[in-house]
This record gives sequence, structure tokens and C-alpha cells, in this order.
Amino acid sequence: MLPTIAMATGFALILMGLYGALTHRNILRMILGFTIASTGVNVVLVSVGYMPGRTAPIMDSAVPVADAAARVIDPVPQALVLTAIVIGLGVTALMLAYAYRLFRIRHSLDISKFTELKW
Amino acid sequence: MTTKFTTRSFVALVLLALLGVAFWTLAAGYTPDAELNRTAAYYAENTARETGAQNIVTAIIVTYRGLDTLGEVTVLFLTAAIVALVLGQSKAPRGGSGSGFLPSGELLQTGTKMLLPIIMLFGAYVFVNGHLTPGGGFQGGAILASGILLLLLAEPKRRFGHALISRVESVSGLVYVLIGIAGIVLAGGFLDNRILPLGTFGALLSAGAIPLIYTLIGLKVGAEFSSILESLEETEDA
Amino acid sequence: MVSAIFIIAAGLGAAFLLGLLKEDQKASAFAITVAALGFMSWVAYDWAVALTTGRAAPVDILTAGAEPPFAINLRMGVAEAWLATVIGVTGLVSAFYLRPALMRLGRRAMAVLLVMTMALTGLVLTRDIFNLFVFFELVVIATGGLVLLSDDERAVAAGFKYLVVSQIISLLLLIGIIFTYHANGSLNIDDIAATPMMFTGAGLAIFLVLIALMLELKPFPANGWALDIYEAAHPGFAAIFSAASGTAALYAADKIFAAAGPDWLPLATVLGLLSFLGSGVLALKQTNDRRLLGYSSIGQIGFVLAVVGQRDILGESYLYIAGGILITHAVAKAGLYWLSGLVKGRGLDDWAVLRANPLLVFAFASFVAMLVGLPPFPGFYAKWDLMHALAGSDRLVVLGLILLGALIEAGYMFRWFGYALKREVREAFPGFATDKTAVVLVALAAGWALGFVWGAASANPNLLTALPILFALAFLVLEPLPAWAKNILAIAGLVGWFVWRYPGYDPLQMIFAVVMILGGAVILLASFYEKGRRIGFYPPTMLMYAGLALLIEAQTSFEFFAAWEVLTIGSYFLILRGRMGEPHALSYILFSLGGAFAILAGFAVASMGVQPFALDNLKALAEAAVPSAPWVFVLLAVGFMTKTASIGLHIWLPGAHAEAETDVSPMVSGILLKAGLFGLFILLMNMGHQHLWGVDLTEVLVWIGALSAFLGALMAIFQEDAKRLLAYSSISQLGYALFGLALMNHVGWLLAMMFVINHYIYKSMLFLAVGGVYKRTHTKLMYKMGGLITLMPFTFVSVLVGIIAMSGVPPLSGFGGRWLFYNAIMASDLRLPMVLIFMSGPIAFLYLFRLIHTIFLGQLKDEHRRLKEAPFWLVVPQMIFVLALLAFAVLPGMALQKVDGYIGSFFGDEPLIWSGRAITSTFGHWNPVAIMGVIGVVFVTVLALLLWMNHNAQKVKQFNIVFSAERPFKPQTTHFAWNFFAPYRKAMGFLVMPLVTTFWGAITDSLHSTADFTRRFYTGNGQTYAVQVLFFVVATYLIAMGGAS
Repeated sequence: MLPTIAMATGFALILMGLYGALTHRNILRMILGFTIASTGVNVVLVSVGYMPGRTAPIMDSAVPVADAAARVIDPVPQALVLTAIVIGLGVTALMLAYAYRLFRIRHSLDISKFTELKW
Repeated sequence: MTTKFTTRSFVALVLLALLGVAFWTLAAGYTPDAELNRTAAYYAENTARETGAQNIVTAIIVTYRGLDTLGEVTVLFLTAAIVALVLGQSKAPRGGSGSGFLPSGELLQTGTKMLLPIIMLFGAYVFVNGHLTPGGGFQGGAILASGILLLLLAEPKRRFGHALISRVESVSGLVYVLIGIAGIVLAGGFLDNRILPLGTFGALLSAGAIPLIYTLIGLKVGAEFSSILESLEETEDA
Repeated sequence: MVSAIFIIAAGLGAAFLLGLLKEDQKASAFAITVAALGFMSWVAYDWAVALTTGRAAPVDILTAGAEPPFAINLRMGVAEAWLATVIGVTGLVSAFYLRPALMRLGRRAMAVLLVMTMALTGLVLTRDIFNLFVFFELVVIATGGLVLLSDDERAVAAGFKYLVVSQIISLLLLIGIIFTYHANGSLNIDDIAATPMMFTGAGLAIFLVLIALMLELKPFPANGWALDIYEAAHPGFAAIFSAASGTAALYAADKIFAAAGPDWLPLATVLGLLSFLGSGVLALKQTNDRRLLGYSSIGQIGFVLAVVGQRDILGESYLYIAGGILITHAVAKAGLYWLSGLVKGRGLDDWAVLRANPLLVFAFASFVAMLVGLPPFPGFYAKWDLMHALAGSDRLVVLGLILLGALIEAGYMFRWFGYALKREVREAFPGFATDKTAVVLVALAAGWALGFVWGAASANPNLLTALPILFALAFLVLEPLPAWAKNILAIAGLVGWFVWRYPGYDPLQMIFAVVMILGGAVILLASFYEKGRRIGFYPPTMLMYAGLALLIEAQTSFEFFAAWEVLTIGSYFLILRGRMGEPHALSYILFSLGGAFAILAGFAVASMGVQPFALDNLKALAEAAVPSAPWVFVLLAVGFMTKTASIGLHIWLPGAHAEAETDVSPMVSGILLKAGLFGLFILLMNMGHQHLWGVDLTEVLVWIGALSAFLGALMAIFQEDAKRLLAYSSISQLGYALFGLALMNHVGWLLAMMFVINHYIYKSMLFLAVGGVYKRTHTKLMYKMGGLITLMPFTFVSVLVGIIAMSGVPPLSGFGGRWLFYNAIMASDLRLPMVLIFMSGPIAFLYLFRLIHTIFLGQLKDEHRRLKEAPFWLVVPQMIFVLALLAFAVLPGMALQKVDGYIGSFFGDEPLIWSGRAITSTFGHWNPVAIMGVIGVVFVTVLALLLWMNHNAQKVKQFNIVFSAERPFKPQTTHFAWNFFAPYRKAMGFLVMPLVTTFWGAITDSLHSTADFTRRFYTGNGQTYAVQVLFFVVATYLIAMGGAS
């Protein structure tokens, strides 16, 4: 049950974030929308690795090395999600810097004002 | 900004609803594994023996999927460089940078002086212990950068040496790559952590090169975040 | 051998190292960058060579000392090595090209370039799907940085749009990856189980991965964001974005398609073809050079994606084909973007400045040829093999659509090339930057080298080792020589080749070789007239002759087709040289390529995918009555008839021939058209009568021939322009030849053969004569001339003799033609087309008569009083032709008797009896010598009579018929020769309504308006683009789901 809820939440976040990004014209709000969507993706990522009744993949006194395989959840999605988070952060920072540049060019943050290139 | 319901919103809604159907199909068809799949099982069984790390996630990040992590660090490096480029090209009018700030106040300044060493220490603790406990280079680096952020907030007019930050960033990055290459020469392949002895399982100085790499990552990430923050701060021209 | 991991380590290490330098140590930073890129390229190239030559075996590079799938591994195989080389070299060369921008922005920008190149290589090498994602994101972010190298402020908005779309892509990719991992328990690409195309669980996960990767290929129509980058970015970066990024992304998609299994390939095929055709059509309306190149990039990547969709049938040749197209595209597109950096203006016609450096024009031409897939570049061999594989597996729709896409691409690329060569240079030209020019030349050299490599690797002959082609290419190097020296060489080459080769020819080849090779040499005599260096004339001319020489000797379908394309390219450049040649050259190349593609399709279908396919096998195909045989016949016949300019496919001819240079007109008219006839000979000789839906296809050809003969002649009589008149008459004459061939009887063939020789002689002669007149009078309009008989007597003689020969009146060889002709008709029972043919005889006389009457007789114009005879070198070949005509008239047996016997071996009959100098058929008797005698007597008598009557003739001035003292609006309307045949026009004008022109015009117009309408779709709003991307994903999902269930 738990993973399904987490997964559903993640998907819902993705859709909500995308809705925001696709409907708001303000560039900062679009960026925010994508941030929400990528958070959703991260939630979906970790939810896939979850296995009911198991514990974190760290072998300490509670989880001896010998039966780690039977006691821990899948560590791979956790490793992936870290990468995904960092990359998401990088792209967000880049988009913010771009937003600043765009603002300085036109003194506006309305995406529909940047349409000189078309057709 | 009005929240009028436009055609665009409608189209977006319909498209997202259809995308939602695809997601729904995925979620509905998903059943959690009862057993670890073969990749995960391999890690659970062999991490301790092969890498000497307690934290399996760390072993995966630093060693097994070390190439990803190198890429990840590069993402931050790249972002820092580009943010500096983007903002460097359109600097705020001369003299305006940071000058419009109100003084940050006694409380913040004193608090910063007190907290900064602790934050830095904590950051270092987090990345050095990455192979033993939850945490690691990225988390530790972020904590380091939060210290820098505090400093920026406390003294907005102050400029830290860009040079120092970029030197830390570059040296740690270079050493990271060199360690990776050392893995080819001394051990089983690029980024193999067994170039150093695995040590006692569970000790601070164990798990081969993992603590070293995580320290480098911590420094590098801290430097990169700080550099991004500084670049963004310099744009303040309100 | 250095492990490929060092490509990645070097890129990253150097990028980090740059951070240690001071901000102002730019020169050292640049040196480090170049050294690292050089090292990366060298490692990749070293592997590429070693793997190709078998010196090394493909290797898996493990990381972290663990086996895959537990640790990430990279693979270095042949494909990876070559693509990594392309990426590395593009990065390296672009670094030089971008040097000023990089120096301005400093070490950070160089670091970004290094990471970009590294990440693209990683994308190619990695075998881990999540690692693929990481490299993708690196590419995205680096792209976001490199876009800023541009001076164009709009690039910032373009970069932002790109980032927005990349967010959506990475979101889909991540979700796809995690569920793929869940389904397979592994992130390794090789562990992805072949998944049937379905839309639950693993199938849906793979779908998300694939659609995300395909979005990276900027598929039409979800690609507005990419086009903006192409348009606004620095051309040096656009080159990387197109050549390196496109290549890497395509290979990434290919890896997943290979893993996902054959069920998914139709997705690649459909989306690829959609992109190829869609962006081709939209490109038609583009006026900005870089955006046009963007469309072309997207189209080409779509083409390769469609090839990826065929990987299940391509087997071993997959890498050769897909790689050939991909690498050619990368080189050509990078070259074109680099070129665009040398051109200041952004309009297509601004490229006219390239003419300041012929080498750059050659580079431009080579790049265009690479993109269109012309020989001798890899795309040509790849397309040939691809078409055969498609035909062999009955994927004819894909085959047709790919050829259509290639034709559209040829349309806008060649139109652009025409602008560059013919449009005016609008602004003062500052000269080209040497370093940038050098970069372009690197791409040029790479393109030709690849052409050689692909040719050598081909199962078919390597075109770059064919002697005639090498000879033609040698003229590129000889361009600095004066024209006369090159002309001597050219003539010597043609004659030498003929002397060397003719002993091996059968009579059919012999006739064509005499006309095409020796005939070409005779016409080249006229070229001595040209002074200076005449840059750009000899290479295409000799290329055309090379094509013709190879065509005659072709044994297999490949040799034939390659020769056909070579002669088409050569003649295109020749026609383009004409003063107003631009639109005509374009329509020529489009019809020719359309025809060539029909031929290609015909051969591919005929061979059923089996190569090599000897031309003789067509006979077996016909004898076995394979169901596809009539279709092969139709395709080949249509292809050949584009060259003979048969009615319906003729509209390129009048302009192309009339606007060509004086010595070019006879080449393209007297010689080039015969290539089509040669093809038809081969076709009919091997396939004979073919029936489609109960219709005998040769009868259709008879009708086309008759209509061409009739309508061509009719159109000719209404021309005012002497060269156009001759051009239309070619349509008519070739119609005769087609008619004769299609009659499929002995005499008909003999007739066609005779036309090959006759038409060459008199058409070349007349074009040279009219060209000589044009040189003197500077006009081609006949009513502006008159009375030149005394000033240009030699020219008059050749026109007179030419006309007599051509109109088929005794005593010259034209009559022989007619005589054979009537024999042929009598032997057949197609009466109605026969009437048409019969009528076109007198019509021919009507227009020919005008040449003599208007140009040489009548009043001399004031401004022409001081004219001299045509230039010596123009007269020389004409006189040779006059002698040849007389000789051929007296002794037709000389050439024809052997051919007659040869033809007899096909039909097994001998309707003509050759006795001495006379020929007898069932219908009559022809003694050329006797006729010559009779005619001579009649002529002398009439002439004497006329001279005697001439003494009481009264002289009349030309312009003395002014309408009642009113000054006419157009003075020429008062000239007797203007609209000479007005009464005929009233009576028969409806027959020459430009229906065909209107038809083809409507097709291009509708394509253009579709393009103009559709491209409004790219509103420029980044958010709209994001919605379109999502729409593309959802639509593909729904359609594919419908297709799968």
C-alpha cells in the first residue's frame, strides 16, 4: 500500500508541476512548476525501490552482513535518486540564471514576449 | 497574474490527463518485488566484501556507479561555470552590486560567527562518514555551502575569493579524476576504490578510497554551490 | 591502444584543470582545451582504424572493478569508435572555429566545450541506461552554456526554450528508466529484454525511454525549440549541435531500439519518415540560412531514424548504411554551418559572397551533394544498398517515401546553391577569415576522404577509382591553368579514352561512344573561343563526359546508376553556368533526380535486393514474367524519359538549353539527351513488350513519342528566341527517336539509331551557329535580326545545311531518317500516332524556315551593319559538322550497316537490303547518291532562275508599316517576323497551352503553401513548444497503442 501511495503522490506532483509549467506565463513560475515536477519524479524513483517490511540498506549492528540480502530494501533507486536530485538542481540553477538574463534583456518575465525566433 | 481558465489551460489539462492515464497504467501494473532483484541482491551480498562500505547506497554511488557520480559532480561544475558565464555577461550596473542592501543586523552577524564553524564541521562530518552512515559528499557539500550562504546573508557586501573557491573546485575535481585513473592502474578499473586497503569493516578509515572520494566530492560540491550562490548574489541590483 | 575511458577522463580532467588557471591566461587555457580535444579525437580515431582493419577486437571497458550490470561499463566497437571520432573531431575543429568567442568568454566557456564533447562521447560509449541519462543531462546543460557563445541576443531565449523542453524529456526518461529497471532488474542496456510493443508494465516503460530519446532527436513537429537554437546559436556551436549532438543522440536511441526488439522498430520508421518529409516541406519556405540548415538537420536525422527502423532487414550492412548516412550528414552539416559563419547576411542569397573564393563554392557544392546522397559520397552507396534491402523485403512504401524526402531536400538545397552561384553580391566583400576557411576545408577534405572509404568498403566498384571520374576531378586541381590549355587536355582526354576503349564496343555502344565521346571532343573545339581561365567550366564538363563514358560501358545496375548520377551532376553545374540559368538548372536537377530515383527504385525492385544485378538480368526478369516486371519497366522508362524530355517531363528543357552558354547548349542538347535514349535502348532491348492491366507499355511509349514529336514541334514554331526554338525542337526530335524505338521493329530501331547521330550533328551545329550569331548581335530574339547572310556566310551555310538535314527533305541524311521512318511506320499497325508523327514533319519545316528567313534573309538592322563572321573557333566545329552531314548523307551505310546487322540479331529479320550505296526495303528503294545528284540539278536550276529574276526586285524597308501614323506601343509588333505564325496560333494555340507547366507548378505551389501554413505552428513561444512536445508524446502513445492492440 505504502509504495502505491508514494508513487501516486509522485505522479500527481509531476502532473501538477507540469500543469503549472504549461499554463503560467511567468518564467519563474514555470521554473517552479518544473521543480515540483522533478520532485514528483524523485518520489516515484524512490517508491519503486521500496519493499514492505524491510529496512535501510546500511549494514550495521541491526543488519548483519550475512542476511543483508533478506533485510534491506533495493538500494539502487536510492543511489539513482541522489543523482537525479543533483542534476535537477543543476538544471534549475541554470534556468534561474537564464531567467535573470532574459529579464535584463526585456525587463519582463513573460515567456510569450520572447518569440522573435519562430517559423 | 490572473488565473483565468484559457484554451491553453484546457489543452494542457487534456494532455496531462492523457499522460496521467499512462502513469496510471504504470502505477497500476506495479507490484513491489518480494525479493531483491539480481542487481540489488548482488550489492547486498558483495558490498561489504568488495568495497568495505557499510552503507550500500554509498558503495553504489561512489564505486559501482562511480561514473554516474563523476558525471553528477560535473553537472554541478558545469552549472557553476555556466551560471557564472550567463551572469557575467550581463552584470548589474557598476557599483550597484550589493550596495542596495540594508545592513543585515547584529543578530545575524553574531549568529553567523557562532554557527559557521559548527556548520562547516558538521558538513565535514557528514561527508567523511558517508560510507558508514546515511550521508555523504553531496549532503556534506550542501551543508558547507549553506554555511557560505549564511555568510553571504550576514555580510552581503563582502566578496570571498572567487579564486580560492575555484581552486578548491578544480583541485578536488582533478584529484577525483586521477583517483579514478589510479583505479585502472592499481585495481580493477576506473574508479575502483580498492586502490587503498579496505581496512576494518565499520571503521572511519576503511572502504578503500571511498572516504577520500567523498571528501573530495564534499569539497567540490561545497565549492560549486558556493560559487553558484555567489554568482546569483552578485546579480542583486534591486 | 589507449583505453576509451581516457577520452572521458581527459575531457573531465582538462575541464577541471582549466579552473586552476588565472582568468587572464586565456592562451594557455585554449592550448589545454585543444590538446585535450586532440587527445580525445586521436584515441577515438586510433580505435576506429584498429577496429575497422581488424587489428583490434571490440572491447567492454569495465569500471569499478565489477562486472556489468553491477557496475557501469562502456563499449568500444566499430560504430562507437567512428562516432566518437566524429564527435571528437567536430569538437576539436569547432574549438578552432570558436576561438574568438572562447577567448572572449574565457576558460569557463572552454571547460563547457570540453565537457560537451566528453559527454557526447560518453553517450555513445555507455552501456548503462541511467548513465545514458547522466550524459544526456550533461549535454543539455552544456548546450545551455554554449548557446551563449552567440553574439545574437535572441540566443538566450532559444536556450531557455531548450531547457524547458529538456525538463520534460528528462522527466519522461527518468520514469521510463526506473520502471525499466524494475522490470528487468538491471540498468544495463544489454539486459533489457526484447519487449513486445505493448502499453503496460515493461512495454510502457520502454516506450517512455524511447519517446524521450526520440524527442532528443528533435522530431517534426515537436521541434520548434531546436530550430530556434539552430538559428540563433553561434555557427560553430550549431555545427556541434547538429553534427555531434545529433549523431550521439541518434546512436543512443539506436542502442535502446536494438535492445527493445523488432516490435518497436515501426515506431522509429514512422516517426523518422514523418520528420524527414515534414521538415523537408517546411524547409521550402525558409529564408534564413541557419534555420534552413536546422530543418535539414532534423530531416536527415529523421532519415537515419527511419533507417534504424529497418535494422531488422539490413543485417550486416546496417552499420554501413546507417553509418554512411549519419557520418555524411555530420560532416556536411558541420561544414555548412561553418560556412555560414563566413557569410555575413542571413538570407539565402547572401551566400553569393562565396563566389569570391572558388574553393568555398566547391565546398558548398560538395556539402550539398553529400546531403542529397549523390556520388561519390557515402550517402550515395548507403542509399543504394538501403533501397535494395527495402525492395528485397517488399517495404516499397518506405522506399518511396525516403526517395520523396530526398527529392524535397534536393529541391531546397539546390535552389539555395543556385542563389549562391547566380545572385548578385549585395554588399562590399571584406574577405574571408583564414582560420574559418581552413576549418571549412577540413570538413571538405573529410567528406571526400569518407567518400573514398565508403567506396572502398562497398561491394560495388569505388567511384573514386574510376579513371574518367578521376580525370574530371583532376581539372579541379588544374583550374589555375588558362582555358586553352585545359581545353587541349580535355579534348585529348576524350579522344584518348575513345581510342583506348572502342575496340571492345559492340555497334550500339560504338554509335553512342562516337556521339558522346568523340562528339564531345568536336564541340569542345568551340570552347577555344573562351579566354581567361574559365573557372568552374572544365570540372563539371568533364564530369558529365565521365558519366557518359561510364554509362556506355556499364554492365551492372550499380555502374549504370552511378554513371547516370555523375553525368547528371556534371550537366547540372554546366547548365547553372548559363546567364539566366538559375531557375532552369533547378528544374533540370529536380526532374533529373526525380528520374534518377525512379531508376534507382526500378533497379532495386528488379534486383529483388540481390546485388550485383547485371543489366542483362532485366531480360530474365521479363522472360520469367515476374509480376513486378511491368512496374520495373514503368519506373525505368519514366526515369529515362526525364532525360529525353518527353512530353510531360519536358518543362526543364527549353530554359536549360536556351540559357546555357554557347558551347554548352550543344553539349546538353546534342549529347546529354542521348543518355536517355541509351537507357531506353537498354530497357527495350532487354525487357521488350511489357503489359500492365492489359496495356502494352511500348504502345504507351509510342504515343508519348508521337505526342512529344508533334507538340514539341508545335511549341517550337511560336518561339521568338532562336535558342528556345531549337530547344523545343529537341523535344520533338527526341520524340521521333522514342517513337521509333517503341515501335519495337527493326527499322524503327535503325531509325532511332540514325536519329542519335543526326540529331547530334545538326542540333550541335545549329546551336553553335545561333550561339555565334548571339555572340555578335547580343540578342537571341529573331525579329531583332535580319539580313546577316552577307556578314556571316559560314554561319549561314551551316544553318542552311542543318535545316535541310533536320527537316527531312532530300538530299541530306534527314531524308534518310524520314525514309526509314516511313518504312518503320508501315511495318507497324499503330496508325493514329503515325498521323501525328506525319504531321510534325511539315511543322518542323515551319519553324526551321524561320531560322533562315528571319535571321539571315531580309533587311539588315542598322546596329548590325558592322558585324563580323562568328568567332573562328565557333565556326570550326560547324564546318566539321557540315562535312559530316554531307558524308553521312551520301554514305549512311558506313555507320548503319553494322548496326543494322546488330539489330537484326535481336529481331531475327533483315528487312533492309544493302547493295553498294543503295538500300532496299519492302516498301521502296533509296539510293542516297542518286538522290543527291537529282537534288543538285534541281537546286542549281532554281537558283539560276532566281538570280535571273532578281535584277528587277524592289527593295523595301522593314519598319515602314506603321499603323496610321500612330507610334506603336511595342515597336516589335510592327516587324513582320514577330509572331510570325499568328494565324497558326489562332488555329492550334490551344494545343500548346502550358498545361504541363501548370501541373508541375501547382504541385510545387501547393507544397509551398502547405509549408507556409504549417510553419505558423512554430509560434516562438517556449511554453507552446512544451505543450507541443507533450502533445507529440501523447499522440504517439495513443496511436502506437492503437497500433499495438
